[in-house]
Amino acid sequence: MRNRFVIGLLLVFLVSVMVPGAGAQTGTIKIGVPVPLSGGNAKMGTDIVQAATMAADEQNAKGGVLGRKLEIVSFDDACDAQQAVTAAHKLVDAGVVAVAGGYCSSAAIPASAVYHDSGVAFVADASSNPKLTDQGFENVFRVIGRDDQQGPYAANFMTKNLHAKKIAIIHDNTLYAKGLATATQDALKKMMGVQVVFFDAITPGEKDFSAALTKVKSLKPDVTYFTGYYPEGGLVCKQFKDLGVSGKLMAGDANNDPTFIKECGAASTGVYITSTPLPQDQATAKAFITRYTARWKQDPGPYSALEYDSVGVVINAMQRAKSADRAAIIKALHQTNAYSGATGKITFDQKGDRKQVLYITYIIKGDKFVPTGM
Amino acid sequence: MKTRSVASRPVYLAGLTAAAVLAAIALPAFGDAYLIDVGTLVLVYVMLGLGLNIVVGFAGLLDLGYAAFFAIGAYTTAYFMVNTHMSFWLTLPIAACFTAVSGVVIGAPTLRMRSDYLAIVTLGFGEIVRIAATNFTFTGGPEGIYDIPHAALGALVIRTPRALYFLGMAFALVVLVGGYNLSTSRLGRAWLAIREDESAAQAAGINTVYFKLLAYVLGAVFAGAAGSFFAVKLTAINPSSFTFIQSVTILMAIILGGRGSLPGVILGAAVIVILPEALRAFDQVRMLAFGIGLIAMMLLRPQGLWPSRYGRIDAREVAESEAGSAAGVAAGAAAADSAAPGASS
Amino acid sequence: MEIALQQLVNGLTVGAFYALIALGYTMVYGIIRLINFAHGDIYAVGAFLGLSMYGLLALLHVQNAILTTLLALIVSMGCTGLLGMLLFRVAYRPLLHARLSILISAIGASLTLEYGLLLIYSPSFLVYPHLFGRDGPAFAGVSISWLQVLIFVSSIVLMAALYTMVHRTKTGMAMRALAINQDAARLMGINVNRVIGLTFFMGSALASFAGVLTGLYYSQISFLMGFLIGLKAFTAAVLGGIGNIPGAVLGGFLLGIMESLAAGYYSSRWKDVVAFGILIVILVVRPRGLLGERVVERM
Repeated sequence: MRNRFVIGLLLVFLVSVMVPGAGAQTGTIKIGVPVPLSGGNAKMGTDIVQAATMAADEQNAKGGVLGRKLEIVSFDDACDAQQAVTAAHKLVDAGVVAVAGGYCSSAAIPASAVYHDSGVAFVADASSNPKLTDQGFENVFRVIGRDDQQGPYAANFMTKNLHAKKIAIIHDNTLYAKGLATATQDALKKMMGVQVVFFDAITPGEKDFSAALTKVKSLKPDVTYFTGYYPEGGLVCKQFKDLGVSGKLMAGDANNDPTFIKECGAASTGVYITSTPLPQDQATAKAFITRYTARWKQDPGPYSALEYDSVGVVINAMQRAKSADRAAIIKALHQTNAYSGATGKITFDQKGDRKQVLYITYIIKGDKFVPTGM
Repeated sequence: MKTRSVASRPVYLAGLTAAAVLAAIALPAFGDAYLIDVGTLVLVYVMLGLGLNIVVGFAGLLDLGYAAFFAIGAYTTAYFMVNTHMSFWLTLPIAACFTAVSGVVIGAPTLRMRSDYLAIVTLGFGEIVRIAATNFTFTGGPEGIYDIPHAALGALVIRTPRALYFLGMAFALVVLVGGYNLSTSRLGRAWLAIREDESAAQAAGINTVYFKLLAYVLGAVFAGAAGSFFAVKLTAINPSSFTFIQSVTILMAIILGGRGSLPGVILGAAVIVILPEALRAFDQVRMLAFGIGLIAMMLLRPQGLWPSRYGRIDAREVAESEAGSAAGVAAGAAAADSAAPGASS
Repeated sequence: MEIALQQLVNGLTVGAFYALIALGYTMVYGIIRLINFAHGDIYAVGAFLGLSMYGLLALLHVQNAILTTLLALIVSMGCTGLLGMLLFRVAYRPLLHARLSILISAIGASLTLEYGLLLIYSPSFLVYPHLFGRDGPAFAGVSISWLQVLIFVSSIVLMAALYTMVHRTKTGMAMRALAINQDAARLMGINVNRVIGLTFFMGSALASFAGVLTGLYYSQISFLMGFLIGLKAFTAAVLGGIGNIPGAVLGGFLLGIMESLAAGYYSSRWKDVVAFGILIVILVVRPRGLLGERVVERM
């Protein structure tokens, strides 16, 4: 009896999934937003979806695009390659005219192949790994900077501003972190009188980095640069100070989060963070922040403004092309010329990367990130 | 207990089989790209499940690091296709070689181990393979290998979801036929004997070392084939697809469906892929559901949803242990009753 | 020299955590021959419960750091101990004679605890209150805090207490009897299920102690924190000799030191491979570990 019931239930499930989903609503223009909505990165994903929704709603209040309303369609990619590919197929089938979103580079890169095959524009708001646009897909664009731009910037800051001669680089063996670490190391190798004394990875998910940090301590670096994410960053910061490692501590833009300060406590004062400017520190973003905070009753995340601009850039492309056709949007995106976004002016180069990306360095004072003069 | 034969199986199981076959055929014709992609993923897990079924279901070896073989197959195909521009079909025998060798490497030390040690050691191997893939440069490190070319059949490039589905179906059918032949062969019977009572099997003259090793190797090769297909389907692979969670997911498929049972494994693979997709709203609870499901399955229906003909033996295992526990409670209660004051607490 | 000493201290600190968790593994395995996959997650539950207690006490305006810590420890250890007993009752007891099924049930229990924590608390990590600073004894230029000393000392003390209990009390005798032959023990009038339940309680309480200390020392806890450390602690238990209490602690410290040295002198990327490698080598070459008695290898 139980047998029959259980198997019958499964049949129902199988059949219900086989029936094609409700057809696309006629009339609305759909923009896809694939982001992690489950797992450890869920908060980032939610920030991104909220920003996209706000952008769409504001445009709809102005009458939409080409007389039609905009609709944001978001799917969870769980920061996983296979799920991102599945989400990509779902978005394409749902009839999106373009995709603006993504968070993890390791998920965005396989998904971009799906978008490429279907001729759908993919504007990445947060994936900074160079390979995304190096693949040469003409439908891929990026509103955030590339790790191989942040690397040289960081290298420059370390040597010119902090006068470092010996530098230790710690990454966590993820796509993003290793990419940034390698870019920094390559830039440093080109400089005279500068030496990278340590280049190794810690394991994300672990807590005790004292062994690696003790090794770093024995090498007496002037600057230690951690390029991983903020959960480990906070731990590295705390243990760095506990062990009394010499020199300054610097971290990459994935550590640009208040929890980093909370985790490291008082020891975080004086730590440097390289990053694209947070919305709070950009003149162009002030209005965006006010509206975002009013609407969602919370501060925008580090990628909200970038996502807001990603959607904005797509809307702008549709308006210039006077069409919501996928191919037309891609063409128009390439022709984006100094679009004024919350994160500044946006123009794309040949590969789809953003021209003239700005990086700054923050220093932690008390419980805040404060931009340094440079 | 009489042996169940196909003729006496309830009609609904035949009906389910027919429905599944119909669905498999109808999918590429009527489904949209997303559904076909899901279907292809089911096929991948069917292959993986059938492979693990040989190790766990037939030979009774609890392998918790099965994703390692999946990884080796995927990385082999990816590496050779990207770096030497080899055709997909040529990478298959190479992947088979590598996975077979790794099956021997992982299987050999574990052959005489207790089942719980074996489980942990295979888990350890699985993690070692994943960490190695993350650290070595020739495997692309944490980025993995991307830009993998599509498989091609002469002039036909296999890139659309539909084409990939057919390729996957071809692979799955080969694995299925292979698995079926194995289960009804002398090999299958030898494995069954080892699984049920190793000492007796040895006494009957079965070289347990040889057969266990063979189980590992065959299971590894099946996973490797699935991995090769996976590589050309995703066109970009990285270590995060080959974690312990992946091994557990494959195990879940065969436990749910019924270890040792071919239709059970297919059913299990379908459920573990389709259920999370159908219940995307409940993605947060997916792993929680897996966990509770595993415990519940072991308590309520250890033989799986579609048990093999040998399922009755697992049911007997559970009945035995429950009887044992009941006896224990009764004995304990009796002992407590008759214990004099001041005796052991 | 100073660096080597520092690595030693690092290793002993990590090792102490491994030791505390390994004790639970070794006791349960000694009695019912089960690798309790969920044990590492019990450690995580302990850490989270501790955090909840701190939060609760803060709401009640209890300020004293020592007092709150003691309360957090007691409550967390008690609740986690009960959880361990519940785990045994629900997921393991009905399956004690079904080898494969009980292992799978253990995996299921592990997943349930992990993702239960995710849902109840947070998918991201949580931060413990910074209650104890980095002050510590000055010792040959090595950085060491009082908290580290506490962790190290408590692992030894708890092991000693456990060892005394197992070898000097009636309950302990019952446990040893069970470990040798369950049926004979039952025939001698030992309430098997009660004794096993008690074992689970103690092992879980120890793991919970380690969990709260982890929170205090590293300041960070997350729902998956038990997975990797569970594996490593099991390695430690096997290294020292599974079923042997001093062995678990010895194994813990040894593993911690070996990992520290590997990370410090070779590469920290390969640190985990060292741990797993040790596990595999031990199980193949000398399954009884360093201090264990000869075990029957086949089932």
